[in-house]
Amino acid sequence: MQYDTIVIGAGIAGMLAAIGRAKAGERVLVIAKGHAATHWTTGCIDLLDVGAGDPLAGIAALIAAQPDHPYALTGIHAIESGLARLQEICEDGGYPLVGSPQQNLLLPTAAGALRPTCLVPVTMAAGDARQLARKGSGEPPLLVAGFRELRDFFPPMIAANLQIQGFNAEGVYLTLPPLAHAADFSTTGFARLFEQVAFRTDVGRSLRKLVVEGGYQRIALPAVLGIHQAPQIVAELQSICGALIFEIPTPPPSVAGIRIYHLLEHAFREAGGRIQLGAYVQRGEAHGNHLEAVFSEAAAREQRHRASRFILATGGIVGGGLRAIDAHHLIETALRLPLRTPASRADWFFPDFLAQPGHPIFRSGVAVDAQLRPLDAKNQVVYTNVVVVGASIAGCDHIREGAYEGVAVATGWVAGGM
Amino acid sequence: MGHLEDSLDQCIKCNVCMTACPVAAVSEDFPGPKVVGPQAQRFRHADQPIPDASVDYCSGCRVCNEVCPTGVRIAEINARARAALVAAQGQPLRNRIIARAGLVGRLSSGPHAPLLNIGLGLRPVRWAMEHVIQIHRDAPLPAASRHTFRHWFHQRGQRHGLRQIVYYHGCSTQYYEPWVGQAAVAVLEHNGFEVIVPDQKCCGLPLLSNGDFVNAKRYHVYNVAQLLPYVRQGIPVVGTSTSCTLTIKEEAPELLDLASQEVADVAAHTYDIFEFLRSLADQGELRTDFRAIRRTLPYHPPCQLRAHRIGVPVLDVLGLIPGLRIVESQAACCGIAGTYGLKREKYPIAMAVGEPLFQFIRTSGSELALCDSETCRWQISHATGIRTKHPIEILAEAYGLYPS
Repeated sequence: MQYDTIVIGAGIAGMLAAIGRAKAGERVLVIAKGHAATHWTTGCIDLLDVGAGDPLAGIAALIAAQPDHPYALTGIHAIESGLARLQEICEDGGYPLVGSPQQNLLLPTAAGALRPTCLVPVTMAAGDARQLARKGSGEPPLLVAGFRELRDFFPPMIAANLQIQGFNAEGVYLTLPPLAHAADFSTTGFARLFEQVAFRTDVGRSLRKLVVEGGYQRIALPAVLGIHQAPQIVAELQSICGALIFEIPTPPPSVAGIRIYHLLEHAFREAGGRIQLGAYVQRGEAHGNHLEAVFSEAAAREQRHRASRFILATGGIVGGGLRAIDAHHLIETALRLPLRTPASRADWFFPDFLAQPGHPIFRSGVAVDAQLRPLDAKNQVVYTNVVVVGASIAGCDHIREGAYEGVAVATGWVAGGM
Repeated sequence: MGHLEDSLDQCIKCNVCMTACPVAAVSEDFPGPKVVGPQAQRFRHADQPIPDASVDYCSGCRVCNEVCPTGVRIAEINARARAALVAAQGQPLRNRIIARAGLVGRLSSGPHAPLLNIGLGLRPVRWAMEHVIQIHRDAPLPAASRHTFRHWFHQRGQRHGLRQIVYYHGCSTQYYEPWVGQAAVAVLEHNGFEVIVPDQKCCGLPLLSNGDFVNAKRYHVYNVAQLLPYVRQGIPVVGTSTSCTLTIKEEAPELLDLASQEVADVAAHTYDIFEFLRSLADQGELRTDFRAIRRTLPYHPPCQLRAHRIGVPVLDVLGLIPGLRIVESQAACCGIAGTYGLKREKYPIAMAVGEPLFQFIRTSGSELALCDSETCRWQISHATGIRTKHPIEILAEAYGLYPS
């Protein structure tokens, strides 16, 4: 089957590109090795770590200083348009993303640190640090609540760390409501429980009791409040307990991140697109600088996929698009595109593990031109019909810069609109 | 340790498989793919006690493999762990019976089949079966056929064509649903093929999934010997059972460590029938003299097909039929997983796993559903009361070859 566009990778960048092309009437296939970093990340959209400042202003300065940065290639307009598109998709799915590209929010993490981010699901909005009670303000403390059964979420630790930062917070473990049978107490297991009315009503009543006794006005819960109807579940809990509720993202598997994937998947399928998971693209087939097909690993023999255009969205070192095959070589896994990476292993890392600028290896990736086409060492376009998006692009330490989702959204939007 | 077990080193404990596993989502008996797979595997050693018997609750649907971001072969690790469990602890009589699909089919089909089918429809009989051999009284058992597929095929005589193709029918077509094979033969002959049906045994998948690797190997070696002469002449092998073709392509060679050239050659020439038809279409060699079928049908791509990692060829091929609209299910699994959902202790899990799919089929408003895998068809029909066909039957109908 010949597709107009094949997208390799099912993260935010790839899915946004795929949605754009499918909406434009193209026949689009997404092939991916498995689920993407969406399932590991917070479900918030980080644009740039400028603390509580203006990320777009920060990006303008970054573009001036680093003309090879992915943001410099897409430009500010693409960032704003991409964010607007993503917000529209999430809004349509009943899960609005709130915030402004001109003002980062600081939200508590599951470690109790404050993390700058830009757009956040409406279920997390009340965690904005500017709204949290400060010590000595006379306001009732923030109540951080969780369950002993949920791994990797410790309300007392979160509250203690917020206290250290000058906030008035308390942590409490809730008693698990009686269950018909023992559940899997993972984040997704809890999310499934919260989709049951009886369970969440019971939790709401426990919270109500705490609110009545302690006078709390704001409660933080782990981001496990349902997979498909989180805003309604939050509203319901608020009305039962009489306090504002917000979610704190959890370590992987991240329910809030999974929600973003579901919304993108739904929008893509609605636009007529097809998704094939479990398909690991391992090589391409080209005529000159035109990529004809890619091959994915399959039972007994490879599967050949043909398309007029290919969008590479396999991610960076985290997502698996870039991989060290031995102690000295980093490769791009799908098409073996040339990489911009430190010349020798000695230059991969600084001697200091926590070196401030971040280790050079994490800026590795595929160099691209203004149309996001892959470039070789001589800055010649490798394939004219290939577009690279997201964390596969060189010149950005996506996570350290706090630009992981922002670059995905901007480049994905550009690729979807070409 | 082979390369399957080695793949556990790719596991970064991200738990994505745990979020996707349809069994762990509904059952407390199965702690999830990461726990019994890559995690427990570190403690599995010939000289050590078996760390985790709950691996027997893995249905083998392979959804974990499909979603794993780092390429761990979780389902295969589990299958081997179960085989080690069976080797150490033995196999209940029930599993020894249901794992022999060929033998059960041979004993069931024939002139006595109608009587047997009536018997198996009686509640007291099923009650007794549940108590004696632990097959759940409500589990979907197929009705045996009076005549086998091979009987039909040999009676009509060999027909010649421009190109030859081997049809691997498997046990379900042979003993329960010969019409699936008849439709396949009709479609292949319509496209100019001479269909060859060599001698064959069960592919061995039920044995593999019940941990009986010794007998599975015997069957696979036999089938390879039967298919090899055709494969060596460049004649492809196609099958209508997605699980049989997957077993020949990958499961048997990998799980059983069968690395011979013969095994690899047979695997490389074996195709799911729609995978094969799609490649014909890609080369412009598939006939498209279709009658319009003005219907919208729900279709479930079974786990066993998705495990081929070839996409959903049914959508590509049936998409060529004018008027026909196929709505693809997004459900993870129907629950039955071959013989899993027949078992007394696993039937309720299988039904709970399949519930999202049953909802999808029920709410489709269609009187007919499509699915490539036989046990899934039986499970879907059992749970929803809606008739379920193999997509090849619709294709034959579109060619005007086969009554609807």
